[in-house]
Amino acid sequence: MKAFTIFKAVTKNWMRSRSGLFFSILFPVLLLVVFGAIFSGIGGSTQYSLFVQNLDLTAANGEPTDLSTAFVAALNSSETFSITEVPPDENATEYAREVLGPLGGNMRILVISKGFQDDLVNGTLKVRAGISYYTLNMSYQQIEQNLTDMEKMTFQQGLALLEQYDARLPDTKTSLTIMLDPSDQSGTVVKSIIASVANAFNYQLIGAENVIEFNEASVTTTSFSTVDYYVPGITAAFIMTNGIIALAATTTEFKRRGIIKRLSITPLTKLDWIIGNVLSQALLNLILTAIMIAVGWLLFNVRVIPDAISIALILLGSIMFSGIGMTLSGFIKDVEAASAIGNAIAFPMMFLSGTYFPLEMMPSYIQMISKVMPLTYFSEGLRYSMLYKYPEGIYFNMAIVAVLAVVFIILGSLVTRWKEK
Amino acid sequence: MSKAVVEVDSLVKQYGELRAVDGISFEVYEGEVFAFLGPNGAGKTTTVEILECIRPLTSGTAKIFGYEVTRNEDVKEIKRRIGALPQEFSALDKLTVKENIELIGDMYAKHLDVMEIIKLLDLEDKTNDKFENLSGGLKQRVGVAAALVSDPQLVFLDEPTTGLDPKSRREVWAVIENLKKLGKTVFLTTHYMEEAQALADRVAIINKGKIAVIGSPQELISQHGGLKVLVIRKGDKKLADLLQKKYGQVTLNSNEDILVKIDDVAEFWQVMATLTDMKVGKDIEVQTPTIEDVFLKIAGGRITEEGELKQ
Repeated sequence: MKAFTIFKAVTKNWMRSRSGLFFSILFPVLLLVVFGAIFSGIGGSTQYSLFVQNLDLTAANGEPTDLSTAFVAALNSSETFSITEVPPDENATEYAREVLGPLGGNMRILVISKGFQDDLVNGTLKVRAGISYYTLNMSYQQIEQNLTDMEKMTFQQGLALLEQYDARLPDTKTSLTIMLDPSDQSGTVVKSIIASVANAFNYQLIGAENVIEFNEASVTTTSFSTVDYYVPGITAAFIMTNGIIALAATTTEFKRRGIIKRLSITPLTKLDWIIGNVLSQALLNLILTAIMIAVGWLLFNVRVIPDAISIALILLGSIMFSGIGMTLSGFIKDVEAASAIGNAIAFPMMFLSGTYFPLEMMPSYIQMISKVMPLTYFSEGLRYSMLYKYPEGIYFNMAIVAVLAVVFIILGSLVTRWKEK
Repeated sequence: MSKAVVEVDSLVKQYGELRAVDGISFEVYEGEVFAFLGPNGAGKTTTVEILECIRPLTSGTAKIFGYEVTRNEDVKEIKRRIGALPQEFSALDKLTVKENIELIGDMYAKHLDVMEIIKLLDLEDKTNDKFENLSGGLKQRVGVAAALVSDPQLVFLDEPTTGLDPKSRREVWAVIENLKKLGKTVFLTTHYMEEAQALADRVAIINKGKIAVIGSPQELISQHGGLKVLVIRKGDKKLADLLQKKYGQVTLNSNEDILVKIDDVAEFWQVMATLTDMKVGKDIEVQTPTIEDVFLKIAGGRITEEGELKQ
């Protein structure tokens, strides 16, 4: 009953705090909207800016050659690039800098060198000659035993002619030069897209057809979007910050101002105080989850469905992170230090626990670190319970969160001082 | 004699090398206002927090209503019966005056009607104001209201007027006087001399963890306050020398006031007769000693506004 009174009081105190509401509810929602807008394609698909300087011009009229024009058209057809052509007589870097203007932006320049078309034609013919020689030679070796001497001679003459033709063709390869800023985070993506377009162009020229057909199928019965991945992740991350940063700071402030001391003079017990605070965190986190899912549904049509297990997991997560928050405030004297230490713990955990980026994308040592982070199991558990509905995934993560919840709430209770020294 | 509600015997609180409370013994009787007077660091708050059961003692015994502050079963009983205004009282900023008093009230099995307490503390206009928007004096009044909401028999008020402006301080004094009228036992700690003298039935002067003297303000003044002083405003050295020859114990201060210490009424009239004979037409007044004089004599210094001891 006293725990419920504490729950009511601290919840009311929090709900009337604008900064509390902003950081606990509004900020995570804004973050979801931003991530959702980026990954759901709202407002148009992503296009990378690219400057292209075509130096392969015909001698007759100085116009770009047919193949270099076709290559630029192939880049354009990928709909991935916003291409700005650089006149051949300009310094490409300076031209790009001028176009980008004072606000800057990513400078990516592709230079199609002079002789691109000739080198491409020669190179293609040499490749085709090589393939023809190889194919004829393989065929000859397979059927040689069944051939008459006359037929064998014809084959050998043909092979010799092809060999001579191949030898006469110059061994040239055309090259494209891509200039990137090393700090450009999209540089790798841009490079691989240009390489894919160049490969497709190569295959087209040598007349190759796809032998391997690529089919895509989902491993789940329902198809999920990237935003579906983010809803449980961001929710889990902010349930963590509510406990580790907000609760730690509030409790430290209550301690510094003597509010906890005042309450400890009454018949209120430490257990009631802790239960009241955990209940308040649980309610706050359930409200946060409901709002995140509602925003996800309304704006991004997410398929996240919380069930009783998700709610139980949120309650366990609230206990776990409240325990960590209380443990921190037990050791810290001032609010600034509580916020700083809370941030120092929460932010690395947020990025190293697969909340925003799948763990597979990270180096193996970070994957090892993530295994000791409570948030890893909490966000994975929420993802399994809200999205994939995969029982083993749910219960494994839930069991770990439950154990950590018990450990941290006991630790938090032990370091919460109900008596002065 | 009323029965003792607080009984402290040889109480010691040790922090490493520092002995914050050094073997003090005293009793507080039912219905009285008992003041602990001393500078910062004298051991006032430490003693009060031991009695409130939120700080362990090192040795000695302390009983509230006969219950031991060190026994867990007794602590529950003590907490049920006491009210407290801790030093630098604070409450939940975003809750209203009423909600904050209710919060403390709800910690007890039963409590007084919150509106009744609000009325008693003259906080009706502020009932729905948030705590963060109140002045220092009003916040202290909310603290006193919270201390009274459980209808306690004993109320601890730890430095209730520290940091308040004179008007707010007088308001809190009025509240304490009212508590006395209601029959509550009040344990007050303060470093303000006039506060202890104005409010307390008995005063214990505490310094460096030890109680130096204990008694009613009048007893302390008469035993330790020294002689009354006859002050002759704007006198001169000639008059001062003459009075010195006749009565001794005469000083001339920097304001050119002549201070004549007098032992009794007879001596007072003798001095007055001398002044009349000499046709001295000056402003004359008699200063009686105060608790401050008692403290000065016992502790060898004065307490500053901030509570520091100045030798």
